[in-house]
Amino acid sequence: MSAAVSMSKPTEHPPPAQQRPVRPRTWWKAAAVLVVVAAVTVWSAIAVEVDFGALFRNAGNASRTIGQLLQPDYSYFPETVRPLLETLETAVISTAVAAVLSLPISFLASRATDPSTPLLVAVRFVMNVIRSIPDLLYASLFVTAVATGALSGILALVLFNIGILVKLVSEALDGLDRGGQEAALAAGSGWIKADRSAMLPEISPIYISQTIYVLELNIRASTVIGLVGAGGLGMLIDKVRTFYQYHYLSLVILEILVLVVVLEFVSSYARRKLVR
Amino acid sequence: MTPAGAGICFDGVGVTYPNGVVGLRDVSLDIEPGEMVVVVGLSGAGKSTLVRSINSLVPFTSGEITVGDVAVSGLRGKALRRLRSEIGMVFQSFNLARRTTVLNNVLMGRLYAAPTWRTMLGLWPASDVELAMQSLERVEIVQKAYANASELSGGQQQRVAIARTLAQQPRVILADEPVASLDPPTSHVVMRDLQRINAELGITVVVNLHFLDLARRYGNRLIGLRAGEVVYDGPGADADEKVFESIYGRSLTAEDVLDTPARLT
Repeated sequence: MSAAVSMSKPTEHPPPAQQRPVRPRTWWKAAAVLVVVAAVTVWSAIAVEVDFGALFRNAGNASRTIGQLLQPDYSYFPETVRPLLETLETAVISTAVAAVLSLPISFLASRATDPSTPLLVAVRFVMNVIRSIPDLLYASLFVTAVATGALSGILALVLFNIGILVKLVSEALDGLDRGGQEAALAAGSGWIKADRSAMLPEISPIYISQTIYVLELNIRASTVIGLVGAGGLGMLIDKVRTFYQYHYLSLVILEILVLVVVLEFVSSYARRKLVR
Repeated sequence: MTPAGAGICFDGVGVTYPNGVVGLRDVSLDIEPGEMVVVVGLSGAGKSTLVRSINSLVPFTSGEITVGDVAVSGLRGKALRRLRSEIGMVFQSFNLARRTTVLNNVLMGRLYAAPTWRTMLGLWPASDVELAMQSLERVEIVQKAYANASELSGGQQQRVAIARTLAQQPRVILADEPVASLDPPTSHVVMRDLQRINAELGITVVVNLHFLDLARRYGNRLIGLRAGEVVYDGPGADADEKVFESIYGRSLTAEDVLDTPARLT
């Protein structure tokens, strides 16, 4: 090949005299935000009429209750096994059902994987409605509509979980690198097939990790929704609390604590293994 | 086995983006079946637009492009997917799904032909897997078939991307800055792969490049773009410094060549 292109060495110039910018002062912005937040907090406390005096007037009551709570009655343990298992089962079943339903909905709810704007808007609207209702309200609705017991708890948690999972997974899809998808579409694939083969492998670690997080949430939530009659440890808490059996209550609380700590340990380990 | 390359005809093609930017201005070109064409120009000159209008990734707003005997304008849905299935595309950033295997990435070249239910379950027909393996063999990277795409070096990833286009059994391969993310020796490996595929399989190849030494070396035919217009069309070997300065609209600098200036002069 002929050497037609000759290169001249770039000539060295002394760096031009440049003016350094003055460092912008921004502390007053932080101070303003702090003042506003403090003002809103104080105003809220006044508005809801917080009565700190009650803390001291009822101190005798509190110390008696705390005293009992500090002495869990371990002999009550056999009575708690059945509700404990029910709480675990509720959490696991709801997580599984919600995880299966959430995956396709997440793909429909992300701009990155759903090219149809009307469908996207419709799915997002429904998801916003589902997410705006708290789990406790779902539970009390289902207890009224279905029956007291674990089934109502499962239905409530499934809806609660779909709201969370679809939100987290579809937002993760939005932020994903879409190179593989672009290549698949350029090779003549349709959107469904391109999403399945190029986007699913990229999202799966995040999806699995969020599912484990939701399982963790469910253990806590299934105790709370039990309070309104949706089965599990929550129903037991409601029972012993009504009869002021704080020795029993503290055992139940202790069990929940152990359950949550163990699960958190397991889930953080699993997520570390997954997302590398 | 592979159908012969298809010709590409640009007839007065213009591209105006929705924001009013003009990508191409009245471009008319005839690319013969089995030709290897290199497109050069500064960034923003319309190289990417030209290449991406051929498979309608960028829709053109006037004129007509014909690939083989198919008119591209107005193609939608199934007909557009069919055209795209016959045109392989190689990207600057490789565009692999990084968390899945090399083999699965190459199989994406078969998505047009694969039934949806098989894709959903990940059950590829044995014939498609065989085709994917042969494609990997052609770019000499079949030993990595079951490795994750993210474990590969940049040059290896780009060869996997080329294998993905081969799995389409395409009539045209478009390469949009295929070596811009690669180091010089790897760039030559990838360019030689494209050259070999063009020569052995007769597939029409259109490559965007911005390094002029690569362009002259691999472009049997060189097309120079400036501000969306064709300003040079001729053999790469004939394109001298003057030609490149007219394409670039300025004198050349060390950034315009891939290899060290010492090897050129």
